[in-house]
Amino acid sequence: MKDMVTELPGLSRVRARFIEMLGPRQEQIAMHAIAAWDGKTAAEICDNLDAAKAILHQIAGSAGSLGMAELGDMAHQCENEIIAHLKSPEAGQATCPGDVITNVDQFLENCRKLL
Amino acid sequence: MRILAVDDDPIILELLGEFMAQLGKHDLTKADSALAAIDLLDAPDAPEFDCFLFDIQMPGMDGIELTRHIRATAHYVDTPIVMLTAMAEKRYVDSAFAAGATDFVNKPFEVAELRSRIGTIEEMLAKRHSRTSKIFAAKTVTDHANVIELYEPISIYDVDSVIEYIAMENYVAQLSRSALFGSSTFAFTIREIEDFHATLTPFEFYSMISDVAEVISDTLAGRQFLMSYAGNGTFVCVTESGWRPNTENLKDAVNLSLSRTELYNNQSELLEPRVCVGEAVRLIWKSGSTALDALATAHASAEAACIAFEKSKYDFWNVGQTA
Repeated sequence: MKDMVTELPGLSRVRARFIEMLGPRQEQIAMHAIAAWDGKTAAEICDNLDAAKAILHQIAGSAGSLGMAELGDMAHQCENEIIAHLKSPEAGQATCPGDVITNVDQFLENCRKLL
Repeated sequence: MRILAVDDDPIILELLGEFMAQLGKHDLTKADSALAAIDLLDAPDAPEFDCFLFDIQMPGMDGIELTRHIRATAHYVDTPIVMLTAMAEKRYVDSAFAAGATDFVNKPFEVAELRSRIGTIEEMLAKRHSRTSKIFAAKTVTDHANVIELYEPISIYDVDSVIEYIAMENYVAQLSRSALFGSSTFAFTIREIEDFHATLTPFEFYSMISDVAEVISDTLAGRQFLMSYAGNGTFVCVTESGWRPNTENLKDAVNLSLSRTELYNNQSELLEPRVCVGEAVRLIWKSGSTALDALATAHASAEAACIAFEKSKYDFWNVGQTA
């Protein structure tokens, strides 16, 4: 079980800080997802997806330790989907992968429920 | 222990702060980037750290580069470095250990696991401290010339893809945790290692082991592998996925290279170490302690090959004879 909440005292403060940071992080991910979706070039799309991936990576690394394993798993899944796209031949095309954006959108929806 | 944690995520640094506070016996310093950590270490009043905790994926210099940088400084050549990361892909695991990482903990952390790993590091440092007051690469062997036991794993520095034995065990454990299998393990043993150990000074012995490690590493160059000196003249190797090494050919290649390498003791007498190689053991489908057992099996196989080789020298005349 990836959950420190019941094992470490004082974690409620860290959890509150995580939630506090989740708002701006969620906005940044949304901004990059929209910019990727509207991107006109492959580089623009990939750069924005990569930026979103970096934030998802941070959420994936800590959410599970704070009693939010589901959110962490979703972030990890979105991160992996972006990595797979960036490694694929499709990354060279000026087309944003719709399924990736849909899943990121779902993730952002879950974030909103926590805020 | 005085510990330096480096992570670009402030939440992780806070989590580690809470964790260390609960343990109550470690002094944690935090840095939010690799460059901040380097500045901290380069400061004139920098404290001496006993252990490092590094994230891998950070903007700018990542945790693997930072590990390489730290290992290049004589001061921290063997200070434990634990990678705390969500990057579980094999290429990151391989790169981290090859750069000099001692252990690997997956994010998100579990308290019990983190406590156990920190405890293992503490034990390792305590053992090391009881053996030697300070370790500085080869200088250690010069200064502490009486501490090398035949069966003792020795840390070898500055040889490509050679890591500490404890790091090798942790590497295999990490492969088993992540189900990243397909690798093989096999070992080389230096023939008549007892004689070398008995007749050479500890520094000469260390130098010979180090030179043989370099020859093996050069022979395996071009392949993805990690290797460690496990003691008793034996080097254990773990190879990349999908490569089934032809161990007989490898043995011949290493021995040919050794025969072309001039190794001398302090009396300018020629040393002629030669190796035997054991069976390659696949790590597929092995997990947990079974994966670690595979290392022991490879080790034992190489030593058995040496014993068989020595025996064959004396039994040679009996071949083909019947009672």
